[in-house]
Amino acid sequence: MPELLAVNKNLFVEDAWQLDVFKGTGGYERARRALTEMSPEDLIAMMEASGLKGRGGAFFPTGMKWKFVRADPNTPRYVIANGDESEPGTFCNRFNMELDPHLFIEGMIIAAYAVDSHFGYIYIRGEYGRAIERVEQALADCYADGILGEDVLGSGYKLDLRLRRGAGAYICGEETALFNSLEGKRGNPRFKPPFPTNSGVWRKPTVINNIETFACVPLIVENGAEWFQDLGEGDENAGTKIYCLSGVINNPGVYELPMGVTARELIYEYGGGLPEGRTLKGFKPGGASAAILTAEQLDVRLDPSIAQYNTIMGTGGVIVMDETVCMVDAAYRDALFFEEESCGFCIPCREGTPNLVQILERLMHGQGVMADLQLMEEIGDSMASSFCGLGQFAYRPVVGAAEKYHDEFVAHVEGSCPAGSCPIAKN
Amino acid sequence: MTQATGPVEQTQADQSTVLESLRTRLADLKDEPGSLLEALYIAQEMLGYVAPESIEIIAEELGYPEAHVFGVVTFYTLFYTEPQPKHIVRVCRDLSCHIAGATEIAARARQEIGAHPGHASPDGLLKLELVSCLGQCEKQPALMVNLDVHGPVTEEGVSDLIRSLREEDQ
Repeated sequence: MPELLAVNKNLFVEDAWQLDVFKGTGGYERARRALTEMSPEDLIAMMEASGLKGRGGAFFPTGMKWKFVRADPNTPRYVIANGDESEPGTFCNRFNMELDPHLFIEGMIIAAYAVDSHFGYIYIRGEYGRAIERVEQALADCYADGILGEDVLGSGYKLDLRLRRGAGAYICGEETALFNSLEGKRGNPRFKPPFPTNSGVWRKPTVINNIETFACVPLIVENGAEWFQDLGEGDENAGTKIYCLSGVINNPGVYELPMGVTARELIYEYGGGLPEGRTLKGFKPGGASAAILTAEQLDVRLDPSIAQYNTIMGTGGVIVMDETVCMVDAAYRDALFFEEESCGFCIPCREGTPNLVQILERLMHGQGVMADLQLMEEIGDSMASSFCGLGQFAYRPVVGAAEKYHDEFVAHVEGSCPAGSCPIAKN
Repeated sequence: MTQATGPVEQTQADQSTVLESLRTRLADLKDEPGSLLEALYIAQEMLGYVAPESIEIIAEELGYPEAHVFGVVTFYTLFYTEPQPKHIVRVCRDLSCHIAGATEIAARARQEIGAHPGHASPDGLLKLELVSCLGQCEKQPALMVNLDVHGPVTEEGVSDLIRSLREEDQ
């Protein structure tokens, strides 16, 4: 839906990943203006006024984050772009990095100047081969063109950016685990507080933002805070979000839409609805970590306010399911993911995730008992005390599915799969 | 950037030469704090896996205890501590791909490869891995051969793909 694209227009501009093409769209003029005509304080105030919040799923106000980092007297300060996108059902950062890498780099330059940082990292998951190539090329072009280095865009400001690759670990998308990974360690998370704004990579004040968050920054500088604020649905939302759509849907893909569109609009108006003859059963609003919502909840807004329905907006990775999808099986897939990706550092997560997998396996093979449903909740209760967000969220999609589709779980205990698609149905 | 996994054919004889050149290539990383993952990528590119000898050299050159390097290697799924087949077929097993038929795709891949997930095929050329979301969900069901993305794939398509990977090596 190109007419709705506000921030990421370049996703539809051919070869926008090339520096000269990007410059033709106004690229790096925003950074030049920011570094030569604006004060860091003005920029931070502009971000605050724009209402920009972190697109990685935590929705922390970006301007406030930058302000905290700038206020910390410790130096050096660091700027990090989090491109470790690994949440199941999420792939929007990949589009940013492959098709429009200069846009978020320009955002990083502006952020670095705003917090007086002279060094930054771009951390990309190791599986994203093409994104890594494109960003590497983009950085090389920036150095060759004087956009990065000793004299950024002729402003006299010095900034170096390094590309670093992850190597297959979902947990490294968690900011403190990412710092450890950048420092050449296992990707275990750290205790918070202290927060990254005061103690990030190398224990120094660090701005860490999602790739998509940085991509918004140049457009805010270009068009103003009010323009960005007005892009969102309602008063609470600012800007756009790149929603990802997958599962049982006619047109899987990415859609940049006003932050806060309803699930109904995304699925039916933009995603083309479900294939003919298929009926919506439920959908996950934000990747594996988000608890499922039912077909009756289609009119919820896809924004942080979705928390009132005991789920999360997360990364905006919407996964659509129809009547043929078994909810025990769907919960099992999520459990399996978190079991694999648990870093093993704390016990509730390390032990809880495989326990959930085992219970769901039992249910799917006709060996479950009613007490298993209760047991899942109890395991969930103990996982709530996990060290980091992974374990604190990992049980919710499982417990949530068992609650919303209780009858279907009970049917498995009784030996049948109403959807007819999990192993119990095939025996 | 080096390939994440690019298993190379290597004879015992030139392993020592490779290890010496690893030492040379690490020189650039000595002044780059926290570059251990990059060092491991280099080591893996040169031998096809991170050999015990490579761990020793990296530890020495970058100033880490060997145990630290080993701990890092084994934390990340893209690093291997044993020689790998040339082609690693990574089939996503998460929700979107699963709904779109990834389980059948994986079953077909296993049949064509002739080995269980995580094990090398009888001819030593291929290995199937069932992996977490690859971030290619619009191509559901998706898979990667090393880092090359394929999708949406069909069961037929998987058979053809694996056949062509085998033919490539004849």
